Amino acid sequence: MFLLLPFDSLIVSLLGISLTVVFTLLLVFIIAPAIFGVSFGIRKLYMKTLLKIFAWATLRMERGAKEKNHQLYKPYTNGIIAKDPTSLEEEIKEIRRSGSSKALDNTPEFELSDIFYFCRKGMETIMDDEVTKRFSAEELESWNLLSRTNYNFQYISLRLTVLWGLGVLIRYCFLLPLRIALAFTGISLLVVGTTVVGYLPNGRFKEFLSKHVHLMCYRICVRALTAIITYHDRKNRPRNGGICVANHTSPIDVIILASDGYYAMVGQVHGGLMGVIQRAMVKACPHVWFERSEVKDRHLVAKRLTEHVQDKSKLPILIFPEGTCINNTSVMMFKKGSFEIGATVYPVAIKYDPQFGDAFWNSSKYGMVTYLLRMMTSWAIVCSVWYLPPMTREAEEDAVQFANRVKSAIARQGGLVDLLWDGGLKREKVKDTFKEEQQKLYSKMIVGNHEDRSRS
Amino acid sequence: MGATHSSSEEVRELEGKTGFSSDQIEQLHRRFKHLSGDQPTIRKENFNNIPDLELNPIRSKIVRAFFDNRNLRKGLSGLADEINFEDFLTIMSYFRPIDTTMDEERVQLCRKEKLRFLFHMYDSDSDGRITLEEYRNVVEELLSGNPHIEKESARSIADGAMMEAASVCMGRMEPDQVYEGITFDDFLKIWQGIDIETKMHVRFLNMETIALCH
Repeated sequence: MFLLLPFDSLIVSLLGISLTVVFTLLLVFIIAPAIFGVSFGIRKLYMKTLLKIFAWATLRMERGAKEKNHQLYKPYTNGIIAKDPTSLEEEIKEIRRSGSSKALDNTPEFELSDIFYFCRKGMETIMDDEVTKRFSAEELESWNLLSRTNYNFQYISLRLTVLWGLGVLIRYCFLLPLRIALAFTGISLLVVGTTVVGYLPNGRFKEFLSKHVHLMCYRICVRALTAIITYHDRKNRPRNGGICVANHTSPIDVIILASDGYYAMVGQVHGGLMGVIQRAMVKACPHVWFERSEVKDRHLVAKRLTEHVQDKSKLPILIFPEGTCINNTSVMMFKKGSFEIGATVYPVAIKYDPQFGDAFWNSSKYGMVTYLLRMMTSWAIVCSVWYLPPMTREAEEDAVQFANRVKSAIARQGGLVDLLWDGGLKREKVKDTFKEEQQKLYSKMIVGNHEDRSRS
Repeated sequence: MGATHSSSEEVRELEGKTGFSSDQIEQLHRRFKHLSGDQPTIRKENFNNIPDLELNPIRSKIVRAFFDNRNLRKGLSGLADEINFEDFLTIMSYFRPIDTTMDEERVQLCRKEKLRFLFHMYDSDSDGRITLEEYRNVVEELLSGNPHIEKESARSIADGAMMEAASVCMGRMEPDQVYEGITFDDFLKIWQGIDIETKMHVRFLNMETIALCH
């Protein structure tokens, strides 16, 4: 009665066999290597193949555009105006020198011409602004078959469209379910594993197991995203009692760093799935989770972090001092809190290759789930991680200067632009201290000398 | 940006009116859209999104200049509520570099336009004169960021500068002659023979065509 068609049993058994085969393959090629920390090199091969295909696709687009005389290439610039690198003082002196007949009189007082400088600077910032550029995704130079990075996708040739369609099919129907299955496996193993380890008595065995459970699950998550990571200078990896500091582009940064090292996480307690994961993790080893109310109290935060750091048996802390996700072309201001603690800082630079998938999370544009879906339907996430040599705060430095020093080191290594601006600008307005600096400088110039003159 | 190709008519018209090249117009259009949040017009509040502009002491005067009817060539006084892209370009065109290949007359005209823009910045009540009050106002704004400067110092600086301007424009004055204020002609007299060209313009980069599928 159940067999409606003569060959139904055949179909069922075929299905059964293929599912078993798929799962075995999954286990052998993906999960087992993750558990033991080895790699078959499949992902690297995948990456090379993809690169060849992208190069071909771009070539076809170029050729197609030329044939049809299309204006496919838009002028690309890093900015539309040339900003003068001269300082305020030099420029105002020059304006006055070129204007004033009493050119040799070196006492600057206020002149009508001073307004030129500020007027022009104002116009320049209106035309082209450094900071707002940082917060939109980096622009690509070749097409990676993701139409989301090519807003001007036009029909060039049949072959190209077919390739693109094939790409969509592969990404959404093959890669996405595979990745979701892996992610699910990874997260559930993490929760279950850490809870189980939590029941063991404290001791070396517990630590050993906890470390390996954490690493294994993060590695599975890395494969779930098809992240191809190259680690440089692994000898500088963070040690116990230190703080690991990195630039922040997306929530994936945590997974990338934690799959290569055993860290104590710092963060706010969340609800939902994140909360479940956090509670499970803290059973196996001491992470530092703060309640919402505690986060506002800077002294409490600093105290807990200091306590953690001073206990040499505890793991290095992982912190992202920018406070928000930046689009991976620059490093913004580091918040000084983590640098006041007085522990050794291990800087880490993370740079994503945007060719395979844009990892930047614009939290004002996409929610977390949308973001994860985008990540899982990209080709791959390729990035490089550099472990920089450890730094400590010197005697004459204050926390802010130390933070800036670390920031420059990270920016230099990762090939990112070092910006002074506060990452929080994405949402807030400029703090008043910055405004004062420029104006103080100008007024010092004018008033200082004016007072001298009136006295003499 | 495929839509801009069909409106190349408009681009050419704007090119003619404002003197920008089509590449520059497209870049500025993108900037306009970014500032306006994809709306067809900009209001004063939209300028609040530019962090670097906060540093500028005469920020409010600069923003005001964008909405000034005299600069927009729409009247002799008053402020517009909002401006469209063409108005935006009109204001920007005051800062285009003077083309030295033009004949002397046109160069002088451009110079005069730039100076008139500056004059409007000083002359906030549009009466055609920069009075002592208006001058003081500008100096105070320029020195406003520094909390250590008292209002008195700012005033005395303004007064001193105004007296000097008066001596340039009026020559020797009788003791009870009152100097009304700097008119536009006086303003031009102050700047006669002085090269302001390089200071009142923003240099546009030469657009290089690197392959970009955008």
